[in-house]
Amino acid sequence: MTAIRTRRASRRVVATTAAVVALLLAVLLSLAVGARPVAPATVLDALLHGATSPDAEVVRELRVPRTLIGLMVGAALALAGTALQGITRNPIADPGILGISQGASAGVVLAIAVAGVHTLGGYVWFAFAGAALASVAVYAIASSGRGGATPVKLALGGAAINALLLSVTTGVLTTRASALDEFRFWQIGSLDGRDTQIVAQTWPFLLLGALLVLSVARGLDALALGEDVAKGLGQRVATVRIVGGVGATVLTGAGVAAAGPIAFVGLAVPHIARAVVGGDHRWVLPMAALIGPVMLLVSDVVGRVLFPPGEVPAGVMTALIGVPFLVTLVRRKAVPA
Amino acid sequence: MTAVSPPVRVARSAPVRPAGYGLVRAGRASFLVHRRSALVAVGLLLVLAAASVAYLCVGERFVPPSEVVKVLLGDGSSFVVEELRLPRLATGLMAGAAFGVAGALIQTVARNPLASPDVIGISQGAGAVTVAAMTFGLTSYAVIPYVSIAGGLLAAGLVYVFAWRGGLHATRFVLIGIGFAIALRSLTHLFMTKGDYLVAQQAQIWMTGSLNGRGWDESLPLRVTLLVMLPAVLWAARAQRTVSLDDDTATALGVRLGRVRLGLVAVGVVLASVATGVAGPVDFVALLAPQIARRTTRTAQIPLLCSALTGALVVILADLLGRRLLAPTELPVGVLTAAVGAPYLIWLIMRSRGVGGKA
Repeated sequence: MTAIRTRRASRRVVATTAAVVALLLAVLLSLAVGARPVAPATVLDALLHGATSPDAEVVRELRVPRTLIGLMVGAALALAGTALQGITRNPIADPGILGISQGASAGVVLAIAVAGVHTLGGYVWFAFAGAALASVAVYAIASSGRGGATPVKLALGGAAINALLLSVTTGVLTTRASALDEFRFWQIGSLDGRDTQIVAQTWPFLLLGALLVLSVARGLDALALGEDVAKGLGQRVATVRIVGGVGATVLTGAGVAAAGPIAFVGLAVPHIARAVVGGDHRWVLPMAALIGPVMLLVSDVVGRVLFPPGEVPAGVMTALIGVPFLVTLVRRKAVPA
Repeated sequence: MTAVSPPVRVARSAPVRPAGYGLVRAGRASFLVHRRSALVAVGLLLVLAAASVAYLCVGERFVPPSEVVKVLLGDGSSFVVEELRLPRLATGLMAGAAFGVAGALIQTVARNPLASPDVIGISQGAGAVTVAAMTFGLTSYAVIPYVSIAGGLLAAGLVYVFAWRGGLHATRFVLIGIGFAIALRSLTHLFMTKGDYLVAQQAQIWMTGSLNGRGWDESLPLRVTLLVMLPAVLWAARAQRTVSLDDDTATALGVRLGRVRLGLVAVGVVLASVATGVAGPVDFVALLAPQIARRTTRTAQIPLLCSALTGALVVILADLLGRRLLAPTELPVGVLTAAVGAPYLIWLIMRSRGVGGKA
């Protein structure tokens, strides 16, 4: 018993160390690679010694905010996905597939076109409202009827809500042409062109969402054993679901408001995290928060170097990486019908 | 009188005629016709005719029905009706019919009302490739529909290949289709940022599904494709019946079920993609029309003709509403069909027992 426990503990320590190293490498790549390659030494110079060379300016003015946004949004989406997969006991739950990101997007469109809001501080409240509405709607659709919230019903409910919200969005955009030019660059999901102000406005929401989700980690573990067992263990199932759901909604809304809808990070990262540290949510959640930013930052860096001088936005890269992941997951029969 | 009917004919025709069917003879050929379906089809045609006349009357300038009928019969002339509304109406009718048949065929093969081209990525594939073509300077509506067909076929092929695993399981097919739909939509958005603002605007309107400015030239590819595909659709209408057989019976009868299914899906994909190319991905028509048709005709099979008529009706009614609801601002037809279709899809999901069964 103790031997197994020590082995698992040491494995977790190794995994955590590896994830931290990967994260540091991803950050370094994100700061150094791009249209203007900057040597790692110059990056450190710019950050630590306040160098004033053009390279250092590029790093400080453009790449630092972009990297910080990537760190925050990656962690937010990964935590949201982990919480959603735990709450719904559904391996393909993801803010994008469930339509929650689209809800946040529709909120932002309405903010731009109808309410005349053009700052992130304003977007974010609309994004929350949209995300919350979409998540409640999808869960209500999927859990009603016979069989409850099966993976397929959740995915289809998400597809229906996605299509509905998409038509609201396009309806607004075709009638309000002025909003389209602002929105089309935001809706692909990108880390490009975000300034430090956005970082300053986003982090309190992410912190709040992360705390909510982490506070129900034990409850999610109990839920994984089944609803009845969770109740038998003294967990308040409804409270766990609501707190976790609110946390996931806040994380998704803030992430989408900051970087646009970024697909599949919330789907893939929890699976990777569980494969590394096992099923205990007190480990899975922090591990997901480490791996999520790695996936997003690496996607962003790959998108920068793929077709120079143009860029492939991070949201498109994660979508292209995410599909093979989903296909494998579905084909492995990890997803019950 | 009793000796008139020869006993041989009674013996031949009576046992093979199932309940609810009537026999129609035309010379030496004879067909079994489902009576209720025939009645529904006639009814739909009448409603469709009335809706078409209304479509031609209503607009920024109202044209009285008597004048519209005159124009249609060739007695009068009206620029608004002949040059603006009639071509648009024709495009809407054809696109709607194509979506209806496409949905019916794909839903028949998947034995699942949710496997419609706009849920499983076919429309999104056609959309991504089309918007890409627009971004790279291809703006001619004479060519775009063919590009769309290529995109739709490509997406359908990818989903088919990845969902195939010794068989085509409906759940796997739908889940993988949804994944591809998301990724393809994200590619579409990428292409939208590559072009200049006007291209993005054009693509945005196209993507919602719109009949605005579709004249005879723009709908030519749709007419050509429908004409070319007509024999295939007639084949599909016959082949559709064999698909409901189980694998063992089909094999015993010498039917190659796998090939028939693939053929039906291919016909459906081509029709859905060309309609998408001309009118844009008008959401939910392919999903709605076959189910409405099946419920009104009360047949076990999804009826192709009634699906086509229902699809046409849904599209032109939605476009009529979209033109007048917020006049003078015009809402694209896809916004209206989504407003009706999405709640219907939600209702379908809430009622369904898992996804394998019929909802």
